Amino acid sequence: MSTIPHDHVAGDDHASEHGHDHHPSGIMRYVLTTNHKDIGTMYLMFSLTMFFVGGCFALTIRAELFEPGLQIVHPEFFNSLTTLHGLIMIFGAIMPAAVGFANWQIPMMIGAPDMAFARMNNWSFWLLPPAAIMLIGSFFVPGGAAAGGWTLYPPLSVQAGMGMDLTIFAIHIMGASSIMGSINIITTILNMRAPGMTMMKLPLFVWTWLITAYLLIAVMPVLAGSVTMLLTDRHFGTSFFNAAGGGDPVLFQHVFWFFGHPEVYIMILPAFGIVSEIIPTFARKPLFGYASMVYAVSSIAILSFIVWAHHMFTVGMPAAGLLFFMYATMLIAVPTGVKVFNWLATMWRGSMTFETPMLFAIGFLFLFTMGGFTGLVLALTPIDIQLQDTYYVVAHFHYVLVAGSLFAFFGGAYYWLPKWTGTMYDETLGKWHFWGSMIFFNITFFPMHFLGVAGMPRRIPDYAQQFADWNMVASIGAFGFGLSQLIFVWALIKCIRGDGAKAPAKPWEGADTLEWTLPSPAPYHTFETPPVVK
Amino acid sequence: MPAAPSPKPGHRADDAQLRSANVRTAIVLVSIAAVFFVGILVAKLVGDTSTGMTVLGAAVLLFLVVAIGRNLRK
Repeated sequence: MSTIPHDHVAGDDHASEHGHDHHPSGIMRYVLTTNHKDIGTMYLMFSLTMFFVGGCFALTIRAELFEPGLQIVHPEFFNSLTTLHGLIMIFGAIMPAAVGFANWQIPMMIGAPDMAFARMNNWSFWLLPPAAIMLIGSFFVPGGAAAGGWTLYPPLSVQAGMGMDLTIFAIHIMGASSIMGSINIITTILNMRAPGMTMMKLPLFVWTWLITAYLLIAVMPVLAGSVTMLLTDRHFGTSFFNAAGGGDPVLFQHVFWFFGHPEVYIMILPAFGIVSEIIPTFARKPLFGYASMVYAVSSIAILSFIVWAHHMFTVGMPAAGLLFFMYATMLIAVPTGVKVFNWLATMWRGSMTFETPMLFAIGFLFLFTMGGFTGLVLALTPIDIQLQDTYYVVAHFHYVLVAGSLFAFFGGAYYWLPKWTGTMYDETLGKWHFWGSMIFFNITFFPMHFLGVAGMPRRIPDYAQQFADWNMVASIGAFGFGLSQLIFVWALIKCIRGDGAKAPAKPWEGADTLEWTLPSPAPYHTFETPPVVK
Repeated sequence: MPAAPSPKPGHRADDAQLRSANVRTAIVLVSIAAVFFVGILVAKLVGDTSTGMTVLGAAVLLFLVVAIGRNLRK
């Protein structure tokens, strides 16, 4: 590959010219690979690793909060843990997992041989490990890791030590990786669809990723710009956000949430796409209201740009601003409701079976809807002012991102593992994993609603005695949830080792997208001759 | 958006056409990312934040509507 004088763009006939299907073996296969399946695997493995790293941080936090008082970690370190837990889970676990799914599935679902820019795809992935090392390594530099929360608000982020610089650089690198990945995904979807695959025939997973990629291209540069300004405030004497020099710390919040709210949808839209593939398959019915689903996702994406200030109702805004952002936020419930209705309507009178992917999809539907409702509660300005920075908010976004994104990704992993590995996963382990996750997730996060309403602030390592009981319950739940995830690793290893029934090309009766026309495991090169979609 | 594939959508063109269409799409997308990155800095540097944010927000909306709208027709 290194002898090719230009970027390896899909459409080059290098591979087919030589008629080969061979590829490097061992570690170099993964270092040098331009194959979308290998890169998808690397993204997913990286994501799983970071999920466990971030999970360990979460368990340390919950261990500290098991009872009132300071037991295990210093308060400064506790703050670093909450900050890095958020950053690692968002930028290291959820987003790379979504990109991993995109890499594996989008070319196969649209009948393309690979991603449009195969070498850039490799580069996008290999930017991530150095960024992760910088983030985690920041614990060991003078001053420790960033401790001002994942939102990096000034003035704390302007005053923090060297760990903040590493965090800023890590965000720059991960942002560049995301933008490159998005360019690749959009180009692939727009230009490399199989004959007959019109936009309104795209599988919904592909649609959701197309819109997600647009969101990423629009908002990641804004985050990069804002942390660049933070960096110049810290080291080059500017005063964008530094109040001491005439800057405006609240401006950072505006700019950050202009990125941050669409970011929420960047994390959830691919999950919507996965669930929209799973539910019709196991209900054995076509997706109800395909076109309305596409329009709903588009509406959610557009609305996500005009609601950012609901994250900062308490900073002080004109009443008209408060009202605008409150109503705009509530408006998002309409397209989201359309989606939930369509998923339910798809299941209605379907011939449903409840294999593990479907269990995770239904778990997603139930819990994400709960998270959506608590989001509506928080959208109400007068209530939000009471609940701002309490555990109610922590409960809300974990219902959206853990029971939402993470459950959908687990469902997607079980759904496509037979295609990826050629081996059926262990259904018993899958069900144990689902029920363990479902039960312990609720034990962990449901009590946080009570704690938040009672006034327990987030990001505090100690708390009043009155919060002790529910914190103990939440901590027990968190350890149960963490242990449940080891079952997934077990099921995954079994699949990778081929320890299970051989998967047929189409293990799910109701599946009808293009990837199921390929043998299992999917060959290294697929769709070099494009299929014709009718 | 010029990102529209020059190969007719739904028909895979020859490799050279596909390659140039891919590169063209990527250039458009990179330029959008660059505008946002530079735009957010310039918006603050010129001192009128609300104007900057309004222009950026309108650009995002317009971009999404045009991009999705054009492709829906195909």
